[in-house]
Amino acid sequence: MAKAKPKTKTENSTPMVKIFIMGAAHEVPASLTIMKAIEYAGFKITRGSGCRAGFCGACGTIYRKEGDYRIYAALACQTQVEDGMVLTQLPFVPAPKARYNVDELQPNASAMLKYYPEVARCLSCNACSKVCPQEIKVMDYVQYSLQGQIKKAADESFDCVQCGLCAIRCPAEIPQYHVGMLARRLHGKYNLKAPENLEHRVKEIEDGVYTEAFSELMKLSKADLKKRYTERDFIDQKKA
Amino acid sequence: MVQYSYFPGCNLKTNAKGFEKSAVAVSKKLNAELVEIPNWNCCGTVHTMTSDNLMKRIAPVRVLSRSRKHIEELEDSPNEVATLCSMCNSTLKIVNKEVKVDEDKLSKINYQLEEDEETYAEDMEVKHFLEILRDSVGYKNIAKKVIKELKGIKVVPYYGCMLLHPEEAKIDDEEMPSVLEYLMESLGAEVIFSPLFKFCCGSYHIVDDETIVDSQVSKILQDVRVKGANAMVVACPLCAYNLDYQQKKLIKQTGEKNPIPIFYFSQLMAIAMGEPIEINHFEDHQIDPRKLLKELKLEG
Amino acid sequence: MSYEYIKFGKEEREFREKIEEISGENVFSCYQCGKCSAGCMFSDKMDRTVNQQIHRIQMGQKEKVLAANTHWICASCLTCSVRCPRDIDVAAIMEAIREYILREEPEKIIVSELPKEVLERLPNIALVGNFRKMTG
Repeated sequence: MAKAKPKTKTENSTPMVKIFIMGAAHEVPASLTIMKAIEYAGFKITRGSGCRAGFCGACGTIYRKEGDYRIYAALACQTQVEDGMVLTQLPFVPAPKARYNVDELQPNASAMLKYYPEVARCLSCNACSKVCPQEIKVMDYVQYSLQGQIKKAADESFDCVQCGLCAIRCPAEIPQYHVGMLARRLHGKYNLKAPENLEHRVKEIEDGVYTEAFSELMKLSKADLKKRYTERDFIDQKKA
Repeated sequence: MVQYSYFPGCNLKTNAKGFEKSAVAVSKKLNAELVEIPNWNCCGTVHTMTSDNLMKRIAPVRVLSRSRKHIEELEDSPNEVATLCSMCNSTLKIVNKEVKVDEDKLSKINYQLEEDEETYAEDMEVKHFLEILRDSVGYKNIAKKVIKELKGIKVVPYYGCMLLHPEEAKIDDEEMPSVLEYLMESLGAEVIFSPLFKFCCGSYHIVDDETIVDSQVSKILQDVRVKGANAMVVACPLCAYNLDYQQKKLIKQTGEKNPIPIFYFSQLMAIAMGEPIEINHFEDHQIDPRKLLKELKLEG
Repeated sequence: MSYEYIKFGKEEREFREKIEEISGENVFSCYQCGKCSAGCMFSDKMDRTVNQQIHRIQMGQKEKVLAANTHWICASCLTCSVRCPRDIDVAAIMEAIREYILREEPEKIIVSELPKEVLERLPNIALVGNFRKMTG
């Protein structure tokens, strides 16, 4: 079977770079993201791709560059390719989440150590923060969890997309993203103000305030639905 | 106000809240305010005694480096990290000495810290709060601030092992220390000597084999009772836990009638200096010291 | 009277050298005065005393050294190191024996098997210290 001739610089005006996917070299356009470049090279990504918008954490990528011993990490959908990148995708990181019931816990160090005692092994090496594609200070939030400073742990870990790259690099074998999740859950439940508007709306729904309106909408034809949509206004009917 | 960059250590935020709160309160009264480092990390006690493991030395060096940055924001602050926890004090002092003596070790550790912009320039010292009280504040100044002498408190000062070993970490003579004795006397308490003042409480064995701790703690407490004391004063949160929690357990098993409350030295200072009693978080203790304080009319 | 013949060859020398490398101490400085064991506050719980273990390391008797519980009972209080008349860091040698084992089998204490009530109750400093000394 004849291999497709790779597009070279002279054939095309698009600047190309050489990247290595699973050890094999591919020429790809330099402007593509890693994810698009993998697809350009002919692969279909069935795992390790989700929102394609930097939010779901499915496309964790570890890579090195030719001639450079350092390890780099990125989200494939958000990062542009570079010449000499040697890639591997990490669609899944093995780190079973502990089973707990937040109703039975308090926002303190005991809760964290009960379910993630390995947090006491943290060496403060900072490998986790260095690998985080969201530039979170991961080591700091693990330390805050060990110290029982749940609010600080929750605030610091807020941008986490659960890609798992920190857990893979950790010499103390801590699943940092699960620790951050527990901290945020405890913080949200016990420290933050209850979302009154949300609770009010949920009660309204349960009391059936909107059931009639929804049933009506569900019965409309496509044409009528479209008409309603284009003619909608935002004036509060009750106040008008 | 002289301010010290203060390193709490993880336990001071959980089991030993009363230790921290009382120490910070009295530090302000004594013009030696303890100001917490905003982004501190666990020091990783107990220090590693291997010659080749650099990973386990990163945590303490990072603490020293972060403390150095913190000092820039403080007023009138010496290049010192102040500690309350004896175990943290020991670990930080030992690693500080190791990296000052061995340039190779420090350069390898700094290579790791360089990316985080937290390299250590060997320019910090580590001081336990007891050293600050003895050397910078002075017992006379402490005595001046006492408004309620601790009459009736017959206390055995218990050092534990970490405050006195090894050479690089010790704050006083390892066989005949006196800092806790003088401090207690300046508060008006009666000091009773026990030869088991540094009989190791069992330390981290509370995790893997409680019987080791039980054996140590029961020996210490037996001597304390025989000598006629009614309290012990400690400087280490793990010693305090072992002596307090295991004592409660042993009392349940043996029916012992004479509970000995365990105080942190700063809690006794806080009582003597008239701080409100809530600052000591006595409700966290297993053997409640408030009973003894009430009897001696010291609860404020 | 009974005799026991011990082998003293390459394997024995390598074990001793490894312990010396990890600890940074010269085990042959020890002249078996016993002060370390006398001052050790945990001696009564150890099946072989500290100085006995050091003698065995001098003789390279790896199996016997590793079979004792001395180094696991040790609480790193450093009393031995401070009192040694030959200035040997005895506690470092105990640590080296622990590390020798943990670098091969890192779970002396199996963290996942610690009961949840215990983890909830213990001060975090105890967990930090214990995991430092008993896990690799």
